Amino acid sequence: MNKKNDVSGMSRKNSIKFSVIRALAALAIALAVAFILIFVSAEGANFSEKMSASLKALREMLVSPLFRKNGTFSVKSFTDVLAQMIPIMFTGLATCIMFSANQFNLGAEGGIMLGAFVTALVAVYWHIPGPMLIVVAIVMGALATGLMMLIPAVLKAKLGVSEMVNSLMLNYVIMYMINYLMNTYLADTSKGVTQTQPFQANAIMPQLVSNGSRLSWGFVIAIIMVILCWFFMYRTRWGYGIRMTGINQPFVMYSGMNVAMIIILCQVLGGILAGMGGGIEMLGRYSVYNWIQQPQYGWTGITVAILAGNNPIYVPLAAFFMAYLTKGCTLMSTNANVPSQLISIIQAVIFLFFAAHQFLAGYRQKLVVKSAQEELAQKEAAERSGEK
Amino acid sequence: MGEEFVIQMKGITKVYPNGTVANQDVNFDVKKGEIHALMGENGAGKSTLMKMLFGLEQPTSGEILVNGEPVNLSSPTVAISHGIGMVHQHFMLVPSLTVAENMVLGMVPKKSGMLIDYKKAVALTEEYSKKFNLPVEANARVADIPVGMKQKVEILKALVRGAKILILDEPTAVLTTQETAELFVELENLKKQGYTMIFISHKLNEIMEITDRMTILRGGRSMGIYNTKDVTPEEISRLMVGRDVVLKVEKEPAQPGEEVLRVRDLEYINEWGKKMLDKVSLSVRKGEILGIAGVEGNGQKELVDMLFGFNTPNAGSVKVSGEEILGLNQREIRERHISLVPEDRMLYGIAATASIEENLISDRTANKELNKGILFNMSEIHKMSDQLVKDYTVLCKSAGQTIGSLSGGNIQKVVVAREFSNDPVLIIADQPTRGIDVGATEFIRKKLVELSRSGIAVLLVSADLNEVMELSDSLIIMCGGRIAAYFEDTRDLSDELMGKYMLGIEQQTPEEIRRVCHE
Amino acid sequence: MNIFTADFFFSIIRIATPILFATLAAVIGEKGGVSNIGLEGIMMMSALFGSLGAYWTKSWLIGLLLAMAVGLLESLVMGFFAFNLKTNIILTGTAINMIGSGGCLFLVKVITGQASTTALITKSLQIPSISIPLIRDIPYIGKIISGHSVLTYIAFLLVWLTIVLLYKTPLGLNIRSVGENPNAASSVGVSVLKIQYITIGIGGILAGMGGAFMSMYYAMGWSQDMVAGRGFIALAAQSMGGGEPVGSMLAALIFGFASALGIKISATGVDSNLVAPIPYIVTIIALVIFALNEKRKEKQRHSSAALQK
Repeated sequence: MNKKNDVSGMSRKNSIKFSVIRALAALAIALAVAFILIFVSAEGANFSEKMSASLKALREMLVSPLFRKNGTFSVKSFTDVLAQMIPIMFTGLATCIMFSANQFNLGAEGGIMLGAFVTALVAVYWHIPGPMLIVVAIVMGALATGLMMLIPAVLKAKLGVSEMVNSLMLNYVIMYMINYLMNTYLADTSKGVTQTQPFQANAIMPQLVSNGSRLSWGFVIAIIMVILCWFFMYRTRWGYGIRMTGINQPFVMYSGMNVAMIIILCQVLGGILAGMGGGIEMLGRYSVYNWIQQPQYGWTGITVAILAGNNPIYVPLAAFFMAYLTKGCTLMSTNANVPSQLISIIQAVIFLFFAAHQFLAGYRQKLVVKSAQEELAQKEAAERSGEK
Repeated sequence: MGEEFVIQMKGITKVYPNGTVANQDVNFDVKKGEIHALMGENGAGKSTLMKMLFGLEQPTSGEILVNGEPVNLSSPTVAISHGIGMVHQHFMLVPSLTVAENMVLGMVPKKSGMLIDYKKAVALTEEYSKKFNLPVEANARVADIPVGMKQKVEILKALVRGAKILILDEPTAVLTTQETAELFVELENLKKQGYTMIFISHKLNEIMEITDRMTILRGGRSMGIYNTKDVTPEEISRLMVGRDVVLKVEKEPAQPGEEVLRVRDLEYINEWGKKMLDKVSLSVRKGEILGIAGVEGNGQKELVDMLFGFNTPNAGSVKVSGEEILGLNQREIRERHISLVPEDRMLYGIAATASIEENLISDRTANKELNKGILFNMSEIHKMSDQLVKDYTVLCKSAGQTIGSLSGGNIQKVVVAREFSNDPVLIIADQPTRGIDVGATEFIRKKLVELSRSGIAVLLVSADLNEVMELSDSLIIMCGGRIAAYFEDTRDLSDELMGKYMLGIEQQTPEEIRRVCHE
Repeated sequence: MNIFTADFFFSIIRIATPILFATLAAVIGEKGGVSNIGLEGIMMMSALFGSLGAYWTKSWLIGLLLAMAVGLLESLVMGFFAFNLKTNIILTGTAINMIGSGGCLFLVKVITGQASTTALITKSLQIPSISIPLIRDIPYIGKIISGHSVLTYIAFLLVWLTIVLLYKTPLGLNIRSVGENPNAASSVGVSVLKIQYITIGIGGILAGMGGAFMSMYYAMGWSQDMVAGRGFIALAAQSMGGGEPVGSMLAALIFGFASALGIKISATGVDSNLVAPIPYIVTIIALVIFALNEKRKEKQRHSSAALQK
């Protein structure tokens, strides 16, 4: 995807310059679209009232996630945002790895739900002493999701069935099956809403801060996974195989790597990461399982992967941005009465421009021509001095 | 009259988005009613120049005049409206449509307002077919007709759109000699009717035979415009490549050892039901180069596909060092130290957006030396790739550079560096120097000879006669999916004789051919 | 209990209708080389605007037209990103789907002030049903075929129109050539970009009709997640039907059958969550069967038996 832009005759400096300008332009367009939508939905009798209401809403979205009304930095808000990052870092990493191999598996959504559910079951019913319970619960959630991903992965690798359609179908199947199990067997009938029995006390994950942000040690695990994923993708032969498959699958086959194995591997890993994210989210921030709708973390994870250019190392940055924006939209909805779902429109716009090869292509071509001319001039100068 | 220019291109420069400078300050003109050759080696910028004339690409700077008027050829539609038509080397036909449907694509005759008037399309096709004496089957699906007819369809397509100026992009590349002769009659015919033609080729004899004037390109620049009758073939070749065209590769006589590759009675029927391989048997021994010559599309591609596990034959056997390799996948084939320089290097040979280094390690990622436990041993990988880049004189800033930004010749050097360096016992080289510059060509050819002399078995498939004849110790000629001839010694072979076998005019006896099995 | 009542078959056709619209969009799209996974999101947005339009103007027809216009508009936006800015078409579709789920909720809140549904469609605004004279009197069959909504008949009529479009019109010829060999098309002056826009635009209009059917006939008004993967199922139906209109229609009917069966089962008191995933599971199984069949054909061609011919 974004990688294709690298086939350029540009010097490294120009190349970086272009990437930064392009990213900023995409963000600016997204914010402009957001502002227009805010303006349309703002209350006010006339233009200036609407304008001031919109500006207030925009302030809520862009500034309030980290700063108090008086403009001072809020540590609590900051840890809130960090806590928000955890699940989308996992779904983001999962998507990075799957998309790197050009496997458009959109199952991180169902994956995080399944992982959360299985982890929750272990946390409620399996009596394991001490913190081992946390580990076992999360591992079980991750494994279950990894196994689930075998379905689209094997079908793609062996039969060529679209992993995209299958993973989307599985998202629905998972959601309904969980709801069925909840309704029929698991729900705590003493409560008015659908939820499981509470987790055992030793299943609750320790918190990093005690300010009520629910920022658990899961954050640290997420960062460790980011580093591990980077090493996996850029420093092991399996990650190499995954990346090459994404660039040119026939090349990988011709080179003697096992394409089917790579296709399966990347999706199973994606499943494990998504499932892990679900488990950590459960034990870090909840005391019962109560997801009956898709949590949308999977879709945000796709945006995170696109923003990160499928490189795990940029996932925290992208996740921070998305968590910040999500919080901003929530604040905007409570304080300025703009529906929080604005986030999905902003997300879609950023997403579209980030993944657009030809976005600012004219500007890029200028840089390329410049680079080529510089190079030619250099060569000629070298030849001339050589002749002398 | 006669001196009137129908096309003038002035000071044309073209820089591609990836930074390649394809044309630099090129001047080009064509007179009415002439056949004008555009000559140059692969990559000299002929195709780019013609793409600009046909509106497929836009010049970065420069001016184009048609009939003396400056024009902006922003798309093929505009070019067509100025009477320019193009016959592409890779046919611009839609295989699942019929000839008639392809003919009228973009200018479909209608009936009752909305629907295709297919009868009219057929009638139109037949009318033009007769008028220009270019016989085609209007109702056949393009997928089912032979190459020669496809080309006729392409020419008719241009004519039916009112083209007065035809650009023919290497029209003879896919044709047999008979078909070529036929084509030349047809072109002369068109010339008599007042049509102007631009003939792209790098085959000297054809140029001398049919063209009036020529423009020679080298490295994206024009080397001047000449009257064909005023220049000798030697002069042309000097202008084209700046040296003698025939690259002599010094080699000692082969001392073949034991048999490495043993192919017996290979048969393959393709998905359209055509027999592409018909009882093909051959052997390649240690230390020798066996060449496979032939016009493209006579089973060479299919043979290579079978040898490297890309396809399975309907019958036959392929053994390497005594072991059957049919049915193995590419990993298993490579584990047996078989290397392939693939014909299509952009599709199979490289991952274009990865670095040179990443492209060099693709066949050996599991090698012990390149791994430290589960991690790559990056310093070893750097060391190995730097060494290969140096040994194979790959022109680049560093091994970390994106391979797609290199020139064709340097990309191919990376491919052969990888394929030649993993201790092969058998190298299959499929069109190893197609479309690359002279320097890289010479380097790769020398390397092939050197490796064979060190005891490696080499199977060389090439449509470049000069290449197979120069490099091979012995060679076979394929025609129509069969081996038409085997020559134990390539030294005293003549082009004419080869041509007869390549075109199926002559055929050796089964006994003569069987000698390639060395039994 | 007799499952195969006339009612049952009637409901298959009713359920298959929106899927059929989207399937035809997918068929035309794939013929033109455009894989449109945004059909889901387009149906969502069209469903919303169809019901709003009908409510505002008190006319189901204008509601339907608005739904189609919104579908067209969204598909053209998709086209702009996919064709002009070269965003991967799958990612483009994913973005459209995001807008379809979250964006619709945003718009509903802004426009109506309601939370996640619009109970706006009353009986008089519903897309009308047609009782076909003569046919309705045929025993059993009449009950199955007659009495559907106008859009249902249009959907099946569109199967035939799609065949005519693709194989009998100049536009269809252009769509197929752009899908198969865009270079060939552009070399004779067919604007690939224009044809791609037309292809995706037709798909958008068709998906828009499917969306309108959802909110203006299938259900009374729009609700969150009401399209529930039908846009994705359509993609599966397209590939199961081998990309041809009639085959894909049959595939869409199979999904209708699976859903109708699910509804029948849940009527017997089984938890709806247990039957709701049936169409999705059927999709996966059907894709597998289709792929296995393709693989078998492939093998046959390679067998040595082919030599004997």
